[in-house]
Amino acid sequence: MSHGLDVLARLAFWLVLAPLVPGIINKVKAWVAGRRGPPLFQLYFDLAKLWRKGVVLSTAVSPGHVAGPAIAWVALMSAALLLPLGPAGAILSFRGDALLFVYLLALARFCTAGAALDTGSAFEGMGAAREVSYAILSEAAVITALLTLAVQTGSLSLGAMLAPAAGPGAAVLAAGLFVVLLAENCRVPFDDPNTHLELTMVHEVMVLDHSGPPLAVILHGASVKLLLFATLLVQAALPLGQWPAGPAAGLLVISLLGVAVGVGLVESLLARLAFQRVPLLLTTAFILCLFALLTSWKASTSSEARQGAMNPAECRCSGTRAAHSAALPGESGGKRA
Amino acid sequence: MTDTVNLFIGLAMGLNLMALASSRIPSIIRIEAAQGMVLGVLPLLLEGEPSALVIAVAAAVVGVKGFLIPSLLRRAMRAAHIDREAAPRLGFVPSLLLGAAATVGALALGLALPLMPEHARLLLVPGSFATIICGLILLMSRTKAITQVCGFLMLENGIYLFGLLLLGSTPLLVEAGILLDLTVAVFVIGIIVDRIQRSFDSLDTRMLTELRE
Amino acid sequence: MSPGPLLLVAFLGLTAGTAGCRRMRFWLVATLTGCASGLAAGAWALIAGPVWDWEPGVALGGQSVHLRLDAISAFFLVLLALLGGAGSLYASEYWADRAHPASAPPGRVWWNALLGFMALVLMSANGLHFLMAWELFAVCAYFLITRERHKREVRAAGWLYLAASHTGTLCLFAFFTSLASRTGSWELGPLRDRPDLAPLFWLALFGFGVKAGLFPLHVWLPSAHANAPSHVSAILSGVAIKMGIYGLVRFSGWLPVPEAGGWVVAGLGVASAVLGVAFALGQHDLKRLLAYHSVENIGIILIGLGFALIAAARGDAAWGCLALAGGLLHVWNHGLFKGLLFLGAGSVLHATGTREMSQLGGLWRAMPRTALLFGLGAAAISGLPPLNGFVSEWLVYLGLFEAASSRGPAAWAAVPAAILLGMTGALALACFVKVCGVVFLGLPRSAAAQRAHECGPSMRAAMMLLAAACVAIGLAPVLFWPLVIRTVAAWRPEWNAAAPSVPLTTLGIVHVALALMAALAVAVLGWLVRRNGLARAVTWDCGYAAPSARMQYTAGSFAGIITGWFAWILRPRTHAQPVVGLFPKRASLDQHTPETVLEDVVEPAGSMVMRLSTAVRRLQHGRMSAYILYLLAGVAALALLAVWGGAR
Repeated sequence: MSHGLDVLARLAFWLVLAPLVPGIINKVKAWVAGRRGPPLFQLYFDLAKLWRKGVVLSTAVSPGHVAGPAIAWVALMSAALLLPLGPAGAILSFRGDALLFVYLLALARFCTAGAALDTGSAFEGMGAAREVSYAILSEAAVITALLTLAVQTGSLSLGAMLAPAAGPGAAVLAAGLFVVLLAENCRVPFDDPNTHLELTMVHEVMVLDHSGPPLAVILHGASVKLLLFATLLVQAALPLGQWPAGPAAGLLVISLLGVAVGVGLVESLLARLAFQRVPLLLTTAFILCLFALLTSWKASTSSEARQGAMNPAECRCSGTRAAHSAALPGESGGKRA
Repeated sequence: MTDTVNLFIGLAMGLNLMALASSRIPSIIRIEAAQGMVLGVLPLLLEGEPSALVIAVAAAVVGVKGFLIPSLLRRAMRAAHIDREAAPRLGFVPSLLLGAAATVGALALGLALPLMPEHARLLLVPGSFATIICGLILLMSRTKAITQVCGFLMLENGIYLFGLLLLGSTPLLVEAGILLDLTVAVFVIGIIVDRIQRSFDSLDTRMLTELRE
Repeated sequence: MSPGPLLLVAFLGLTAGTAGCRRMRFWLVATLTGCASGLAAGAWALIAGPVWDWEPGVALGGQSVHLRLDAISAFFLVLLALLGGAGSLYASEYWADRAHPASAPPGRVWWNALLGFMALVLMSANGLHFLMAWELFAVCAYFLITRERHKREVRAAGWLYLAASHTGTLCLFAFFTSLASRTGSWELGPLRDRPDLAPLFWLALFGFGVKAGLFPLHVWLPSAHANAPSHVSAILSGVAIKMGIYGLVRFSGWLPVPEAGGWVVAGLGVASAVLGVAFALGQHDLKRLLAYHSVENIGIILIGLGFALIAAARGDAAWGCLALAGGLLHVWNHGLFKGLLFLGAGSVLHATGTREMSQLGGLWRAMPRTALLFGLGAAAISGLPPLNGFVSEWLVYLGLFEAASSRGPAAWAAVPAAILLGMTGALALACFVKVCGVVFLGLPRSAAAQRAHECGPSMRAAMMLLAAACVAIGLAPVLFWPLVIRTVAAWRPEWNAAAPSVPLTTLGIVHVALALMAALAVAVLGWLVRRNGLARAVTWDCGYAAPSARMQYTAGSFAGIITGWFAWILRPRTHAQPVVGLFPKRASLDQHTPETVLEDVVEPAGSMVMRLSTAVRRLQHGRMSAYILYLLAGVAALALLAVWGGAR
């Protein structure tokens, strides 16, 4: 019974709160530009309106054009439900769910890009091509970030990986994941969600031919994806799982707000990158995640070395390297036991 | 203490990669200046109670690498009317990846070398190797003379980092000598750059092969 | 009860099919019976456990016949039988007598022989008979590839295949003969306490690697798979290249492996995975593209095997077991979805007469079922949940992540392998979005695509069989886990106790939930679309007045960004006649990604050998006196050698 309530509460969190994030970003952008901007709840109004609207489909499309957004939305929501929420943990946590998370995002991408190609439009083909191409680099960064967390915690389930402090590399990892967030959600500097020139866009151009409820599903899915990456970023950087429930929940909300404001500021202060420069920025994100991995590696080996050095049996002059190699089997053996 | 030093060296390694990834010459110069300053304060951190000599050398390094050399380079750049590395020999993404690989390799090498126990926990050796290799990559992959000077600067920073290992035993005389050489070299290159620009209307070092006679 | 009788039925079925190859129905029934009982025998051996060992006391080539069916053999036999059955069913309609009166009946003979000899390779416990079966199956595959011998490129592909295959077989000859000479017997069996046999692993790696098509040795694979009839491509890609994997798994289990073996295999695996999919992205021939994906998937399998070898060398059973289990399950999975995709590509070829993707498009209208099944296969090969490709890649990932957390030297290898495996997944996804979008979605790009028709019931049934297997492994992976783990235990018996507990039940439940939720969401959204009212309009085209199907994004443009990143190895060739002037004349653009290794390495090496041999041929001129001089010089040289040797 309580488990059912838990699931419902989480569904409500993702369903209801996700569309708030783009609202906040737009408010920040308006504030920086000195405008009043659209209402905070604009996306809710849009979704409600689209839900009731009729649908115009291209004569070229297959039934997959409607099925694609639906499957993509289910995949995104499932990925979101796999994420732990600060002190509440995850609903379902098992070894290797981190990889399921990554591949659910890939499933969503497959469906969105497929639905875009369904129209036969050159613009949408272009957008789909960019989406799947940039995803290669951001996937490398995400896998590296997961490796970092796995090496730090020795666990492969998101619930345990995201709970403890992210260690000394947290800032680097957070920077890398923030760039990935911008790229995966097609924000400035990778893509401009405001532009209306099809040639320059990634995500927006893929959904040009959607309308009515399928478009509502796509917009909602996009906001879920944004909130999902923000949640991942916050929990990878902050040790929320080790705090008492109240402050941790407060901190989670505040830092999610902070990420949204950060995206808004980036969007106001930066221009969109030229397309040739995008791989460079994504490579930078990958390298940031890689360095976070190295930092956590170094930190864990040197802490082991310190433990080894504290061991009275260890000869002081044997050098750290010997101490470190001697500490390794003991450490791993202890973990297994 | 160790963590602060490692943080600074880590910053310097990050700056290496930023230099490899940036295409604008002013930002490369700025990055090199920042790297010089970051490394300049390291002796203060390494010595528990720095002597007057160490403080003086640190101040000199920060002054020369952080302000003097960059301003000279900026002058040369302005004289030559260029601010972009338009067509590098090796693209920015590959050179960035190479630099990252070099950094990882340097860290692995640092783990494998039989270092003194007090050095093993510091990133001095890996940082030095990484900086030297990144400097060499910058030298190999860029074509503009000013970027190549920045590569030399990076190379020098790496050698300097290595020199810090001997901080206790050797006075900083060697480092001071290198620094002097470098300053003179930058002066000379600044003048040469100006001359090349006047006579060839280009700063591409690939053109200089025609001067070999 | 033992698999013996079942295997006898399988043998009789295949033989009867061969004998009655003129009558299609009889052949189909006999072959299907054979495949079904082969499947039953394999499944029985895999589930029930005991090794079936059969020595009738008959000698062949001086060696007594010895067949053995243990878990590893049975694991591959199940895949062979399943794909053999599906392929036979498909061929009965696809390569029918009416369309190919001359080539269909002999094709059936070669087909049955191929299945039979592959099964013999799997079961031989004698090196000599292994080699014989290996050679015969390679020759059968050659005759199947060259069914359309009147076409030039088919003949070229066949010769290339034959040459590459024999290069590999040469290495295997060396491998088996040195094995026999060092052990004193042709009998094969566990010999891991003989460290002097370790260097032979390199011979096996080359010989089996050529057959498996791992990266630098894959040169024969794309053209052979593209030019063979589609059911043959399916079995070549699904099973025949797995014979190379079988050999590697088999002999790395039985014989000692050198220290560096695991690292090399894992490195080759990573290279095959990334470069295979990169080459696939550059292709515009549907079947060639699928063939390059075989190189990619072989890479994924080898990553699993390589890390298992590293783990075995370091005594780290926990993640070695996971990596090998992932690799082995991927053997099945790749066979299933690649078979499905090749059969789907065959249906497209059958319906439109072309494999050129720039001529296709919008096929979902004419062939909705094929489109759906192909899309399912595409999602499976991209490793998307809830299908089978994800399950095996997930297991490999688990092994790699555990290895990365283990902080030994293995971790330094596992980190790049995991990252590159992730990139491979994303690249494969990009490639299959391209294939599905360009071939099945949008508007037809040519008249041939417009006139397409759905394939018949037998072809559909064969595809549905494979698709059902893909879905089954995806939704209920826990049912197949004991079979995989039994195979792993046959590879390294001492790992039996360390079999890791993997949350496959949970994963299966999540997959089922995901599938149900997706179906529900699609139904609800479809209902909503109908309720709110549906209007049709043209695709948004920025107001351009005369849109045409030729303005759609092409396969080449879709992959352009990525092939640009890999241009250093793909070396795409472009012939462009650009648009010039105010009233431009004809303009054209033609892009082509060659097989770099073949054209830039193998062919120059080949022509150098030819030049050298031409130079040597000058010695052969027909003058008798000179020949006598050669003879004398030879004898003198030998005498000198003998004297010199005697002096030492």
